[in-house]
Amino acid sequence: MDLLLQLVRWEVLIFLGALASLIVYQLLNGRINTQYLLYGRTSAANGRDENGNLYFSPERVQLLAATIGAALYYVMQTTETAKTGQLPDIPSGWPALMGGSNAIYLVGKAYARWFANRSK
Amino acid sequence: MLLTPLHILTLVAGYLICAMIAVLGFVVLREMYNGNIDLSKLISEPNGDASMSRFQFLVFTFVIAFSLFLVVVATLTSTDPRFPIVPTTVLTLLGISGSSYLVSKGIQFSDPAGLVPPGAGITITPVKAMIRYGQTQQFKADVPRQPGSAVHWAVIVPVTGGGDIDQNGLYTAPSPPATPAGQPYPILRATIQATSDAFPDAYDVAVVSIS
Repeated sequence: MDLLLQLVRWEVLIFLGALASLIVYQLLNGRINTQYLLYGRTSAANGRDENGNLYFSPERVQLLAATIGAALYYVMQTTETAKTGQLPDIPSGWPALMGGSNAIYLVGKAYARWFANRSK
Repeated sequence: MLLTPLHILTLVAGYLICAMIAVLGFVVLREMYNGNIDLSKLISEPNGDASMSRFQFLVFTFVIAFSLFLVVVATLTSTDPRFPIVPTTVLTLLGISGSSYLVSKGIQFSDPAGLVPPGAGITITPVKAMIRYGQTQQFKADVPRQPGSAVHWAVIVPVTGGGDIDQNGLYTAPSPPATPAGQPYPILRATIQATSDAFPDAYDVAVVSIS
């Protein structure tokens, strides 16, 4: 039975590692499209500028930073508390922080889509 | 330790399931690597732009998967194995991410421009037509990113003598040219262009053959 457990452990580790590596590799070499990840678009109804209504979006940058920060923090917490047999709890302020970050992103997106006129 | 038939059956089933999952995982990874499973739009919106909400979902999915794996592995030899307890705050965080994704889709789907690639500016139908001299042909133009928006129509080739088109897309072929008796009329090809007022650099053309 121990051999089977070891086998399952390595199988899952290799699969998850390979899958993550493959996705990161394809994100970095451009096979997975990341074009305009940090850009938003205003509505077509507001006219069109030379960039096709594209604008650089600070709300997306802050959401990206918050997402990566929360992810790294959680993985570090997990490595420290894995032996307890449960996923680590996160500080009560984190949901509020991520909620706020997502809200900023959504408000920015809604404003751009419905109200902003960035055409020149 | 003496193995009972039930133990042996359990072990065999375990190894078989393990092998099946390994083969399945290998095939999936190989197909992803070869591009047969297309990941190119993994975090893309319908209009082709990469999506921050989808990227966040992707990151959190991997974080939770790795965390679950670490916890399960750390307690794998336990005599009382059970699924790890997921704290409420983690579920809340995932709920926030999921809700944000849904609201983001709602905002995007509220605007046609969010669903159509920027290149899809305007489309004329029909793209080809055959009519007689003096007859009319109705053309239609669709602007997917802003349905119902105004369109400018013009006969661009030939500039003169190619007929007329009004701003509703109704094309009227020119009168028949004078030809020697018994000779058929020459075939005239006119090119119709529709330009979107909302997207001035977006246009499409149609060709009408007049005989």
